[in-house]
Amino acid sequence: MATVSFQNVEKSFGTTKVLHGISFDIKDGEFVVLVGPSGCGKSTLLRMLAGLEEITGGTIGIDGKVVNDVESKDRDIAMVFQSYALYPHMTVADNMAFSLKLRKADAKVTQERVAHASKILNLDPYLKRYPRELSGGQRQRVAMGRAIVRDPKVFLFDEPLSNLDAKLRVAMRAEIKALHQRLKTTTVYVTHDQVEAMTMADRIVVMHDGRIEQIGEPLALYDHPANLFVAQFIGSPAMNVVNGVIKRSDGTACVDVGDGVQWPLHQSPGAEGQSVAYGVRPGDLALTSETAPGAVVGEVVVIEPTGAETELLIQAGQAQLILVTHGRPAVNPGDRVGLAVAPGKVHVFDQASGNRIAA
Amino acid sequence: MRKGALLHTATAEAKLLLIGIPVVIWTLLPIYHIFLFSISTKDEAFAGKLWPDHPTLRNFGIVFNQDNYFLNHFWRQLGNSMVIAVATGLVTLCVATTAAFAISRLRSRGGRTVMNLALFTYFIPAAFLAVPMYKAMAAYGLLNHQSSLVLAMVTIASPYAIWVLKQSSDKLPYELDEAARMDGASPLQLFRLVYLPLMAPALVAVGTYALLLAWNEYLYAFLLLSNDLDITLAVALGHFLSADDSPWEILMTTGLIYALPPAAIYYAFKRYMVGGLTAGAVKS
Repeated sequence: MATVSFQNVEKSFGTTKVLHGISFDIKDGEFVVLVGPSGCGKSTLLRMLAGLEEITGGTIGIDGKVVNDVESKDRDIAMVFQSYALYPHMTVADNMAFSLKLRKADAKVTQERVAHASKILNLDPYLKRYPRELSGGQRQRVAMGRAIVRDPKVFLFDEPLSNLDAKLRVAMRAEIKALHQRLKTTTVYVTHDQVEAMTMADRIVVMHDGRIEQIGEPLALYDHPANLFVAQFIGSPAMNVVNGVIKRSDGTACVDVGDGVQWPLHQSPGAEGQSVAYGVRPGDLALTSETAPGAVVGEVVVIEPTGAETELLIQAGQAQLILVTHGRPAVNPGDRVGLAVAPGKVHVFDQASGNRIAA
Repeated sequence: MRKGALLHTATAEAKLLLIGIPVVIWTLLPIYHIFLFSISTKDEAFAGKLWPDHPTLRNFGIVFNQDNYFLNHFWRQLGNSMVIAVATGLVTLCVATTAAFAISRLRSRGGRTVMNLALFTYFIPAAFLAVPMYKAMAAYGLLNHQSSLVLAMVTIASPYAIWVLKQSSDKLPYELDEAARMDGASPLQLFRLVYLPLMAPALVAVGTYALLLAWNEYLYAFLLLSNDLDITLAVALGHFLSADDSPWEILMTTGLIYALPPAAIYYAFKRYMVGGLTAGAVKS
């Protein structure tokens, strides 16, 4: 178990700078997820921590010790690769024992550790098999077993679930989380899937274009996104965002998006006339009557029932919005409806900077 | 519709057979010819028959008992051929495997350039290089040493061997190296414990290639070795033609025997040529 700290970490490939001064700390035993779209630098950052990429600038520390010039094998970290990277010519047991064998560990200790890991991961029936004889999920577990056997200071996961089918992914997600709760090893997990990030992380680091957009607990990020990027990246379906101008009259405020559509501002952040992006999550929109006070009028375009929830695509002025409701609303495509915004659930961002305007 | 498709397939197959059958006959005819000579007496060999009236294994007896002037050192020379071929195969493997590992896995600076320069030597026919090679070996005092032939054959086989091994080692997922590095493997351990086992099929293929190249070599063997006790069987076969009245049936019998080990080696290692050992390493 260990702490990890990134201090102003930079990375360039040739003249292209891909990481611009990343700084944050990971607490002992914490499960941190680096999330962001492809090319945001999250995998590069992980690989730098792993010692597989050179560090161009800044320092990376493990347990307070700078590891910039420490070889990968001496950092005491274990990594689970996206492609599993199992040694195809070794059995499951040999795959897991490989690192201990290289360290010339005692045969008995090795056997005990492999047995322990295989028990945790339910790999006992497969120990004598070769990777080619395993399913994707089993291979993934072997890759995790290989990491567990080493009992490292830090676990690294590089998109470990993206090669699995949807159902298996959900199962493995829970398995990894349970594993962390059991072993309590500091974990850094990279994914582009915000659902994985939300469900697994103690803290999420949202990255974009080589910079950190926001760091925080999953629900904090969901409830108080620091900027438009985080707002739209975290949450599924994504947050509805419309652009408009703040208007105030008679003590009430709203965002005028043109075409006579005005979205209510319950708190009144921002200045009169400021160009803002008005965001509201699909679950924070509710159907109401067209004539209700403050309701925004729209027309139902598509209805997507998913059983427990119903997703409605609604055209309001120029914008198309998604509304998620738990019921099964009695509406049909083409119906005109009123939209109500739950009080306190509005997110307002400055259009120019994209930053949240404090309520 | 279905009938038409069937007819189409049949026509396509017929066309392929029309090409295939003559090619097979063309290939097998010389081999049959050799075989025919080896089971005929000298008189019958030239009788122009498709099958001798009195097939005999006498020729094989003569060869195995070294019962002919040209075959006084048959077993010795066959042994020479084997030693030289195996040595060439092994040395080529050592050179090519380490080079391919450095170029493809360790990504050494300038590795590709070195490989391309080596491949460039193939623009010059080996026959042109024979005289310079002879002079070089003379300078090192290696003439009439079997090691000179081994070195020459390794020189000729290596560029291709490096290229083939580099290609197939490029196909190994790089994450395996990274995983091994994180598991604590040094480059040499990576080479020995991960790289070599996974490259086994390619190694067998390349080793066989170098071995057969040396086994079949005539020109360099003829130039670099001259002592009857040192030469390979291929050169010894050439000596048959120095007589006015060559014993063709014995020559052909020896040739047939000489052709058997390569066939056996190829057959034995056939399955390695296909590969498939890397299945399961990564999701494909």
